[in-house]
Amino acid sequence: MNIQDFLAFDPETDTDHDMPVDLRSLDLVSGYDSHLMCPICHCPLVEPARLQCDHVFCQKCLRSAITTFRSADTDDFPCPSCRTPTSRISTNVPRLLINMCDEIQVRCPFLAEGCQEILPRGHIQSHVDRYCGYRLMPCPEESCDKKTRKKDLQPEERCLHGYYQCSRCEQDVMEQDYEDHEKELCPSLEATCVDCGTTVPQRELQGHVDQCPEVLSPCMASKYGCTTKIRRGELATHEQSCPLVSIAPYFEAQNTRLDSLELKTRHLQQRNEIFEDGLANIRSTLLESARTGGRLGHSGESGQQNQADDIDDSTGMSPISSSNPTTYLLSLHESLREEVSQMTHALTDLDARASMTIMNECLRIKEDMAHTNAAVNSVRMQVQWLMNPRLHNSTRTGNMRGASTAGNDTTRTQFTSTSAPGPSQSAGPSLGPLRPRRPSDSGREGTKL
Amino acid sequence: MGSQKRIAKELHELVESPPEGITVKLADEDNLYEWRVFMDGPEGSPYQNGKFQIKLVLPTEYPFKPPTVSFATKIYHPNVTNDDKGSMCLGMLRPDEWKPSSKIGAVLQFARQLLAEPMPDDAIEGRIAEQYKNDRKHYDEVAREWTRKHAS
Repeated sequence: MNIQDFLAFDPETDTDHDMPVDLRSLDLVSGYDSHLMCPICHCPLVEPARLQCDHVFCQKCLRSAITTFRSADTDDFPCPSCRTPTSRISTNVPRLLINMCDEIQVRCPFLAEGCQEILPRGHIQSHVDRYCGYRLMPCPEESCDKKTRKKDLQPEERCLHGYYQCSRCEQDVMEQDYEDHEKELCPSLEATCVDCGTTVPQRELQGHVDQCPEVLSPCMASKYGCTTKIRRGELATHEQSCPLVSIAPYFEAQNTRLDSLELKTRHLQQRNEIFEDGLANIRSTLLESARTGGRLGHSGESGQQNQADDIDDSTGMSPISSSNPTTYLLSLHESLREEVSQMTHALTDLDARASMTIMNECLRIKEDMAHTNAAVNSVRMQVQWLMNPRLHNSTRTGNMRGASTAGNDTTRTQFTSTSAPGPSQSAGPSLGPLRPRRPSDSGREGTKL
Repeated sequence: MGSQKRIAKELHELVESPPEGITVKLADEDNLYEWRVFMDGPEGSPYQNGKFQIKLVLPTEYPFKPPTVSFATKIYHPNVTNDDKGSMCLGMLRPDEWKPSSKIGAVLQFARQLLAEPMPDDAIEGRIAEQYKNDRKHYDEVAREWTRKHAS
């Protein structure tokens, strides 16, 4: 809203409470965050409003600030915190802020009348409106201008401000105070001191008892064991001679020392507990690893198993064997290392053996291959030898037949010339009667081992 | 009415936890608007070991109008008038620079800071400012002399 609207609208004055509580003059019981303080009135914010620069003030304070700072012909004014020119004011501040301000604990404004109530600031108005019995109300008698506490007004609604004369002290007492006067305040009321027998006004009795020299009171050193209980008047002489009184300062010093030592012991106990917990943790982890280690380790290694059993036993016992887990761990480590070295040995052994067998096999296969090669070569030689005369023959017959069977012959010639180099081709079905002996059979027979 | 509560609160705070070298009380117990402030000269300045009395007057419009600060003890300083009034020239106390959110404690601390470090460019006593700028040694001497004579 703009400034004119803001100045016209005032929620604090326009309330329907018959007795509005001034929230700024309340007696605060709890502390509050300094950010909740209005920079102008230095109280927790009441009905806050926010400026464009985000500074927050009570609406009432802001209104006074605007009327003081605004020059007549402008429609803006400087922010009371940062002097930023401002023309718009928002009464819509975060709920959080209002709640925090309303939560501050305050005393009822009628403390002087006897209301001991302490409640959140947000509830104080309704407390005063409805519940506070100590609130001062105008006297129901119209001619009387005095005020009466709300709770005294209750039953008959009449003026309590008439004066009565006290039947004993002949003093004029207002009716509303009469009860208190009769019970406590009247000077004619007397009480007798039980110890010295003097009579004093009742309201002074307590003070008298505190000082009466006849009252039996315990020795100053009673808490250190002095059982004497004598009249206050003689107490001083007793205390001068009482050995416990003279030793009392020493006792006190010892007490404070004891207290501090106890405190220290408690600290140490706590620390000790923490350490013991830690130790137990370590032990349990060790035990676990020992179990898994035992499973891994060979069952033949009986020594190791015995050790594992030892650990099992020791955990049930007191922390005397606390070094056992460490030694056990070390031995376990040692045995594992041995095992590993054994395995390395075995591995190299196996490696050597395997390479030997491989080499043997290889040699044999190589020999075989040499044999086969030789056989194949001899076969080739034989085949060539066998083929040679036939090649001769075919060229001769081809020339003799001449052109009459030229087409037929060419195919045959072609075939024979191509079939010559490889023995595998010679097994072709079209060769028919010319099929040679298969030399490879015999060759293979020979080379087989 | 609102101003009284705030002033009472600020006074209470300053009496309960006074800033270094500053003590505050009311000139007259019944008048919240006039304060007596005792300020020790800051260490390292020529005003050291001096005890200066300051009169602080709050307007009824406080905190919307600035308080006025004047030295009751004579002091040789470029920012304090060298007359019976002893008015102090503080930037933050000028009506157009005053902010309602400023606190009296801050004003007093600022004033003490001004004793330690005068602002010759913002001076009210031109002659002393000139001397402070050009003949620092002599200025220190005179200020020390005045402190001894008037403020101890």
